[in-house]
Amino acid sequence: MAEAQIPMLVEVAYATPVEQKIFKVNLPQGSTVQEAINLSGVLEQFPEIDTDNLALGIFSKACKADTVLRERDRVEIYRPLIADPKAIRKQRAAEGKRMGKGGGEVTEDADEA
Amino acid sequence: MITAITTLTLLALCFGAILGYAAVKFRVEGDPIVARVDALLPQTQCGQCGYPGCRPYAEAICNGEVDINRCPPGGEATIIALADLLGVEPKSLDPEMGEERGPVVAVIDEQTCIGCTLCIQACPVDAILGSAKQMHTVINTECTGCELCVEPCPVDCIAIVAVPCEPQRWRWPLPHLLAEGVV
Repeated sequence: MAEAQIPMLVEVAYATPVEQKIFKVNLPQGSTVQEAINLSGVLEQFPEIDTDNLALGIFSKACKADTVLRERDRVEIYRPLIADPKAIRKQRAAEGKRMGKGGGEVTEDADEA
Repeated sequence: MITAITTLTLLALCFGAILGYAAVKFRVEGDPIVARVDALLPQTQCGQCGYPGCRPYAEAICNGEVDINRCPPGGEATIIALADLLGVEPKSLDPEMGEERGPVVAVIDEQTCIGCTLCIQACPVDAILGSAKQMHTVINTECTGCELCVEPCPVDCIAIVAVPCEPQRWRWPLPHLLAEGVV
């Protein structure tokens, strides 16, 4: 059997504070993030998702719509932040609260890990 | 005489071959008792027992390194189930490990989340959806309420809330626990 014929199981996830959904999708090998999203039906169930500016990732690592998926990947569609990180940090500094470990440029650390 | 020896030799060879085949065919991977102990643990992966997760704790129990009363999320029901499986006396929960309580989940305050990913790195069960500079959201059905995400958050935006008992969430209690009058 050719490799492309073995289906690959991936998940597509979208979450709001009220409702979180994980869609299971069977795809042919070599499918992309965009194909998984189209097939999952997440866009129909959550019409508020802005399809032109999708913020995408696989297990919290940002990726592009044409990224090729691997078995058991979880495609994630993100929502933008509400708070401004700089403002929050300033506010906490003004209140004299500690920022906890890694309060600074943690995203770089996350990428290295 | 010769017939007897030949017959017995043939029988021995025959059974030897069967046993040899069975040893290969039905070989047990890993320690099955560890898997059974692990199956009784609540899989919160919270580390309150002092081990990095439920499976390491199950291994430690099976090696006789620790007691069975170190799992607060599992509580008394888990201790009794473990005692039953392992044939030991049930004990009360070790108070050093924390207290038993109902199911809880983490909730992120969206007004404060700065998208730092520290909670995501701490989550042992991938229950937080989010990426760098994107909103982080807890997936309720995945969250085990282990609280490991609370401490790393630099802006204290994660709260632990009790899960209300709703018709959608209610599950049948495990039958073997019912039979023992635990539940």
